[in-house]
Order: sequence, then structure tokens, then C-alpha cells
Amino acid sequence: MAEVVIQKDKMDVSVKKKIQTVIATGFFMLLSLLVVFPFIISFIASFRPGRDLIRNGLALNLDFSTMSLHNYEYLFTGDHSYFVWFKNSILITFVSVFLTLIVCYFVAYGLAMYNFKLNNLLFFLVIATMMVPFEILMLPLYQEIIDLHLTDTYAGVILPGICSASTIFFFRQYLQGLPTTLLDAGRIDGATEFGIAIKIIMPIAKPAFAAMGILCAMGSWNNMLWPMLVFRSASHFTLPIGLNGLLTPYDNNYNLLIAGSMFAILPVFIVFLCFQRYFIEGMSAGAVKG
Amino acid sequence: MKKKLVSLLLSTAMLSTVLVGCGGGNQQTAASEGDTASTEEGSEEAVAEAEYTVGPEDGTKLSMWVFVPAHAEFYAKMAEEWNAKNADKQINLTVTSYPYGDMHNKLTLANQSGEGAPDLCDIEIGQFPNFLQGEVQFQELNDYIDPYREDVVQARIDTYSKEGKNYGVPTHVGATVMYYNTKILEEYGIDYTTIETWDDYTAAGKQLKEASGGKVCMTSVDTGGTDWLWLAMAEYGEDFTNEDGSPNIQLESIKNMITMQQGWLNDGIAMISPGGQVDMEEGYANIAAGNIASFPKAMWYMSRFINYMPEMGGQWAIAPCPVFEEGQPRSVGIGGTGTVVSKQSENPELAAEFISWAKLSYDGELQIWNMLGFDTCNTSIWTDTTITQDTNNEYIKYFVTNPFDTLNEIKDEIGLIKVGRINPTINDAFNLTILNACFEEGANVDEQLEQGQSDCELEW
Amino acid sequence: MGKVKKLLFSQKVAPYLFILPFLLSFLLFWAYPMFSTIKMSFQSVLPGQVEWIGFKNYTKLLKDSAFHTAMLNSFEYMIGTLVLLIPFPMLFACLMESRLVKAKGFFKACLYLPALTSIVVSGMLFRLMFSELGGSQMNQLLALFDMAPIKWLKIKSTSYFALFVLACWRWTGVNMLYFIAGLKGIDDTFYEAAEIDGANARQKFRYITMPLLKPTTIYVLTISIYAGLAMFMESYMLWAGNASPNNIGLTIVGYLYRRGIEKNQLGYASAVGLVLLIIALIINVIQLKLNGTFKKEE
Repeated sequence: MAEVVIQKDKMDVSVKKKIQTVIATGFFMLLSLLVVFPFIISFIASFRPGRDLIRNGLALNLDFSTMSLHNYEYLFTGDHSYFVWFKNSILITFVSVFLTLIVCYFVAYGLAMYNFKLNNLLFFLVIATMMVPFEILMLPLYQEIIDLHLTDTYAGVILPGICSASTIFFFRQYLQGLPTTLLDAGRIDGATEFGIAIKIIMPIAKPAFAAMGILCAMGSWNNMLWPMLVFRSASHFTLPIGLNGLLTPYDNNYNLLIAGSMFAILPVFIVFLCFQRYFIEGMSAGAVKG
Repeated sequence: MKKKLVSLLLSTAMLSTVLVGCGGGNQQTAASEGDTASTEEGSEEAVAEAEYTVGPEDGTKLSMWVFVPAHAEFYAKMAEEWNAKNADKQINLTVTSYPYGDMHNKLTLANQSGEGAPDLCDIEIGQFPNFLQGEVQFQELNDYIDPYREDVVQARIDTYSKEGKNYGVPTHVGATVMYYNTKILEEYGIDYTTIETWDDYTAAGKQLKEASGGKVCMTSVDTGGTDWLWLAMAEYGEDFTNEDGSPNIQLESIKNMITMQQGWLNDGIAMISPGGQVDMEEGYANIAAGNIASFPKAMWYMSRFINYMPEMGGQWAIAPCPVFEEGQPRSVGIGGTGTVVSKQSENPELAAEFISWAKLSYDGELQIWNMLGFDTCNTSIWTDTTITQDTNNEYIKYFVTNPFDTLNEIKDEIGLIKVGRINPTINDAFNLTILNACFEEGANVDEQLEQGQSDCELEW
Repeated sequence: MGKVKKLLFSQKVAPYLFILPFLLSFLLFWAYPMFSTIKMSFQSVLPGQVEWIGFKNYTKLLKDSAFHTAMLNSFEYMIGTLVLLIPFPMLFACLMESRLVKAKGFFKACLYLPALTSIVVSGMLFRLMFSELGGSQMNQLLALFDMAPIKWLKIKSTSYFALFVLACWRWTGVNMLYFIAGLKGIDDTFYEAAEIDGANARQKFRYITMPLLKPTTIYVLTISIYAGLAMFMESYMLWAGNASPNNIGLTIVGYLYRRGIEKNQLGYASAVGLVLLIIALIINVIQLKLNGTFKKEE
């Protein structure tokens, strides 16, 4: 494995290199196959009757006689609320990613670009919030949400997560890498402090936005614990909550569960594929230099 | 547009309720006496409506939460009948059903914050003790239950009471009976009607094992449910909580039952229930595959046969459970739902009057039997031949024996196990630890019970 | 008007305005709940009856065997994930960044796919694959080798196997991407210089890659420790609920959830949460210390 670290390999023997390429590529092919395997079997299984899976377990089974498009047909035409959950999930993801990015960017901007009295203290607070797992505060936060009358509202789900410490941290690291001369240039041009933050720095920080956007979207799309606590009415449920609810023996909806699960993977994957380049770029520019 | 939105919301509510249904999201182990009950009554197959509003617009508005869609349907029907009879007390009832865990959490929340509770709410028996902690947030119902008290199994009302005050209206007795697969037993030459004691049962199990070459087990024992233990306690007249409600799980009955079941497992007479107990998808599959010839379960399990094993009609018989020593009582009440009236209600009198009537009167109980297939608390139903001999009834049709024959036979033998504050803890001890250790790993019963006892005492 | 304008241009005021949302959120959604969880951990909280009970919740924790099981489980899981999810993704990242691999983008996407999948979906898939039934994937695999079916999720060792497979499946790709990002930040000139000095591949890995990846490693280590200690949903989905036989799948957060949400014992649950917090802080301090020593070395 070690030789692969070599970045500028000057091996003369091109054959040797070819073999190594085949081995390395083959290795990842195998690894990818292993990783994708559960998706493959569940995709195939999604054409079988759902109850069958629950009663017998999930395994690779290419029995065409039991396979049909029925599950997907039901997913798209059936009388169920899958797409209400889907819509809720998209809405919540979109709003919370948007708000999180904006708010965290400005906070990080404040921390990174200015030298002011409380800077260190505030940054310490950011770190402190990062160091406490959310789950510890879950219960009192839940009570607070009750007191604020935010139960069963989108605000109750979204608000506590907007000021994400890790996102602030990431943005701060990224912004610190930028030259402050940019700011001075802006000031000379007569821009306000906000104007500089928005018009000059924000475009430069695009990769950071992309990286954090993907991470936040992923987290929000798949978040289950907190929304499960906050939401009471079924009309507000998000996909994870709804899908989880399908997992009971008291109905015939395993069909929906299996087809719906497959379909739920799609949106995030598409987003990832579109922004993958920014993602890695953003990551290398920010978090890991910290 | 508004209508569309409402119907959209409704259909969402509806689906998720049905889906999330009654299981409370527990597969393996959560089938405690409580949780079984939670899952007990579910299962309208298709997507049932999750929200019903019945009654005239100008009637007194009452809201209600339930956790089983089929119950919503039942209450809606009863509200209609109520309005037909009480021209002066019209009600406009909205019943919404939510997922099991969600509904109970929501009610807890509403009680804590002092707002948002419905007028009426179903509470599952295993959850009930949680709601009796601290200041009880429900109306006392004694006066409203009184008119029906004579006809109703008192023990079921006591279950939902604290210090002599009745807070919940019961739904059914949940008498435990033995279900026998007569097709299998006949095939291997076993006559279940002669089984009276557990020794007989064990002997029949041995015979079955030999005759079938080990292919069929006499029964399956539960690692995720305490029904067998409840039965044993009732037979011995014991209870795993003391008078003051403190835990006492080191009982002769429990030891005997677990030891006997360990013996069955060793001898290959019994298997461990796939999924932890029989009221699970894996359990239905196991029964439907003909892997086990019998199992004890409450009367409400009849609806599971109808819903999940319709193809087995005409195969199953219902009989009293075996006992350890002849003369012991042969049944125990398991599971249940108590309906409460919230202190937050603006019309508590009417709500209480309605619900007592709907669930305890003859008319109400008749619907409970017809619509839900439960053994009603109002025992006058049990002897009404127009009901018990109604051959059009799907439950009576499905079974080889008449359910009411067995019910009447054991009528005075249905034991009661108290459900108090410590019971959820005791259930956890058995369902999570003790039963698994004893059956899966063959652990020593006494040691396990001792450990369990000290764990439970810690919570007391 | 002039004042507002002045405000907009003021470099003194601007940072505070920028920071304001964080301060609000910090007070509202962090400091206050933190305060109330500390308070509640000394209380018994029931509807209409809140009582101060001193350290009773904590003394009860000392005797609570389910809590001890939860602690042990969380630690074992955390350590297991550290062992599996740091060295391997690091090596994979190096391999991926060597110029030997074709179709990198495709592989990265494949490996990242599980992280994009909701734990609800992946937990369900794994539960069905590791089901005790004869028809499950893992039991079919055993059948290939003529072995009897196993009740995967009822035995501690096999259920941990399932948990670790799930964890590796989900997070290998993510951690690998972190390391790749770290590798991109390493200047090629280091390697060139090393080559001139005649270093072999292993030496280059040992003396250049590893040390220069240290910030990344520390970052990944930190998030892995927290993720491991705070694990809950994985177990929740794998056992379809917060109840597992013999509590083999019970974690600290699972126990907090059981007490706080399922049993409505907010006081006791708060005590559980605070124990987790203290553990997290201790680990943090240790880490900061180590971090500091590393710096001195450099």
C-alpha cells in the first residue's frame, strides 16, 4: 500500500506501473461494489412484495416470478402521503440550509475578519457548543420549544439548528485564509462593512458555501431525532419519520416502505453528484487546516 | 383550495397513523404486557381514515385521540348512535388517530404544558401508570361508570384507577386462552381437549415431536413478551407487584413457568418465537407456516388470525389454558385500552357520559364485539345467544370452537395482574434481559430473577 | 439616518452585528437548555410536582446496571469505530490520490453514497440483511459455507459486527474524503525533496504524509469520538426501536431517550446527559493536551 503515496513516481518500468494501476483500480472497484451491494439487493428487492421481505429477511433473490413494478406503481399513484413527507423534507432542507449558510457565514465573517475585544471569547463559545453533543441538550431544548409554543412547527425544527457551530468553524477557517487587503480595497471603494461581506468576500467563498451546503443538506434531509420530537401532526412529518412509521406489522405498507426508501436516496445523491467538485475543493480549503 | 389542503392533511394523518399503527415501533422486545396491548387491536388492512368528524355542526364539540385507526371508526359510529338517541345532547366528535408512541408522547406533553390535550383520549394499559404519576390530569369518572358497573368486569375498571378514583373506561377483558391448530394436532394423533395441565401439554408436545420427527413444535416461547408469565402468576394467584405496588418478581409461578419452558427448549418441544413473540410479522409467518401447533394469547388475537392468516380458517380451536395443578384458574386478562377525559376539557360531563355509554353499555359493547372482535367487559354480551350463535360473524366462522363457549367456561377464572408505576420497569427487566438470558443462553432462572428484582427495586 | 450610515461603516460595531445571531442562538438554544438540564438533574420532574432531590439521580446512576451497560456499549462502539474508521480511510485516501487509480470520481461517489442515505433507510436494510430469519442475506451467506443461521442481532458479538459493518459502510467514504482533502493541502515539493534524499515510499508515508495529515487526523478523530459516544439512531434503527435483547444495543443517548422521552423522567435523563457531557469534556481536555504536545514536537 505504501508505495502508492508516491506522488512523483519516476519508475521507468511502465509495465510495473500499469500493473499497479490495475491493482489499485481493481481494489476500489471491489470496495465500491461491496459498498453498493446493499443498495443493489434492496433495489432488486424493491420489486418484490414488501411483506415477503419482513417475513423472510433481505437477500439477493432474483426470482422474477415474484417481481413486479407494483411497489413503484403504488408509490407514484397510490393513496398515501409519501409525497407530503417528501415535500416537507425538501422544504425543511431548503430553508434550513439557506438560513444556516447565511447566518453562519456572517458570524464566521465577524470572527475571522475583525479584531475586537470579545473575539477570542466568542470563538471559544463557538468551540464550546461544538464540543457538546446535541443529544445532551435535546430534552431541555424540547421543553423550551414547548414553552415557546413552537411544537409542531417548522420553526421549532429549524431554528435551533441554524447557528451550527461546526459550520461557523469551517467558514471561519476558510475566511481566515483570505487576505485582509481585500477588505481594505473595498473600504477605499466606499463599501459598507456589510457590502464588503456580501459583494466582495461572499463570491470568493463560493467553494466553502458549496461544501457546507452539501453537508447541511445531507444532515437536514436525513435528520430524524429532533423532528420526531417536535412534530406532532402527521401532516408535518418528514421522510425519515414517515418511512420509520411504515415499519410496523399493522399494515400492508411495506411495499411503500421499500419503494419509498429507494426513492428517498435519489435527491441527495443528485445534489452530491452535481456539487461533488466543490465539495472536495471546499473541504480541502477549510475544515482540515484547523 | 382549502378543502384540498384539508384532505391532503387528513390523508397524511391517516396514512401515517395506519402505518405507524399500533406497534409503537418495537419489534423484538417491546411486547410487554403493555405493548402487546398496544398492538393488540389494530389492523384494519387497508388504509383506514385517520380522522373522523361526526355529528351536527352545532353539537357540542368534542375532540378525541386514539392510536388505533379501527378504534376511531368505532367511536365515530358510536357518536352517530348517541346523537340518534340524545336529541338534547348532540355532540360533534372529531376522532384523530396517531401513531402509538407519538400519541402517548403528545398526551404527556399536553399534560405537562397544560394545553393542547383533547377532550377524550385512548391510553394503552402499559402506558397508563405513567399518566397516573404526580397530579392526575384526568377527570374522575366514577359517577359516569356507576350506571354500568354491575354488568362490567370490575377488575378492568380498577386497572385504570388510582386511590379508588376511576380515570379510564376499559375496552375489553383480554381473557387469555390457548389457541390450538387442530389440523396439525389431528394429523399427528393428538387430542387437545384432553390437555388439562402443563404436564399433559408437555406430554402432548413430546408426542408431537416424535410423530412429526421434530418438524413441528408444540409452541413457541417468548423472549420479548410476558404473557406466559402473566398466565402462570394468575394460575398461582401471584402478582409481581406487592400490595403497595413494589416489585416482587421472584415468584414460584414465574420460576416454574420459565423452568418448564427451558425444559421444552432443551427437549425440542418448543422453539423461540421469531421476532420475540407471536404478535409480530415474523410470528404470523411462523404460525402460518405451520411450525407451531399451539400458543396462549388473549382473545383479541382472534383478529390477527382474520387479518394475517385468513387462509387458516377452520383450523384453529380455542380452549382454556393448561394449569400447573388442577383446580387452578385457567386464564388471565392481558392488554387493554383505557379512555380518559382530560381535565382540560370544556365539556367534561358530556364527554364522560358519552364515553361511558359508548364503551360500557350493551349497545356499545355489541359494537365492540362486532367491529373489533374483543371479549367485552360487559358480560351480558357473552350469554346473549343472538350474538354468540351468530354464524355470520367472521370470528365465530373462523374458529373450530365457539369463542364464547370457552369464554363462559373460564368466566370466573380470569385472573388479574395489577398494573402500576413499576410495571414498565418490570417489563423491561423481563423482555430485555431475563427472558433472553434464560431462553437464548440457558441462564439460571433464580440468578436472573434475583438480578432483575434488584434492578426493579432500584426504580421503586 | 446619519447614525445608521455611520453604523454601517463602523468597523467597531460591524463585528458585533455579525455575531449577534450567534449570541442569540447561543443563549436561547445552548446556554439556557444547558442551565436547565443541570438544574433538572438535581430534580424529580413530574407533571405538577417538581422536587429538589439533591444528588439522588446521580447516586441512582451509580447503581443502575442498564446505565452501566449503556456506557460500556457506547465506549466499545466508539473505540471500535476509531480503530476501523481512521487508519483504513487514510490509506484508501492515499491510494486514491496516488495517480494509479482511474475513474476516481466514480469511486468517490460510490463510497460516499451510504452517507447520503438516511439512517432510517440504511438501518432498515441492515436489519433485514442481518435478520435472524433463514432468508436473510447474512444467513444465506452462512448457508453457502454450510453453517446454521445465526440470530445476528440477539448476540452481542454478532450484533456488534453488524453495527461496525454499518458504521464502516456509512462513514468510510466520508472520512476518506476528509483525508483526500487533507492530502490535497500537502505541498508536492515535500515529496520531491524526499525523493532527492532517496526516501522510499514507506518512508515518505511515515515521515511526510502522516505528520502533515495530523490536523486532518485530529479533526476526524474528534468527530469520530463524538459520533461514537453519541451513537443512537444506528442502534434505534437496527433493533427497530430502543429496546434490544439484554440491552446489547443500548447506548448512553439511547438511555437518555428511554428515560427522558419514553418514561418521562426528565430529571434522571438529565443526569444521564450530564455524565455524557463530562465524559466528552474529559476526552476533550485529554485531546487538547495531546494536541499541544504535538505542537511542541513540531
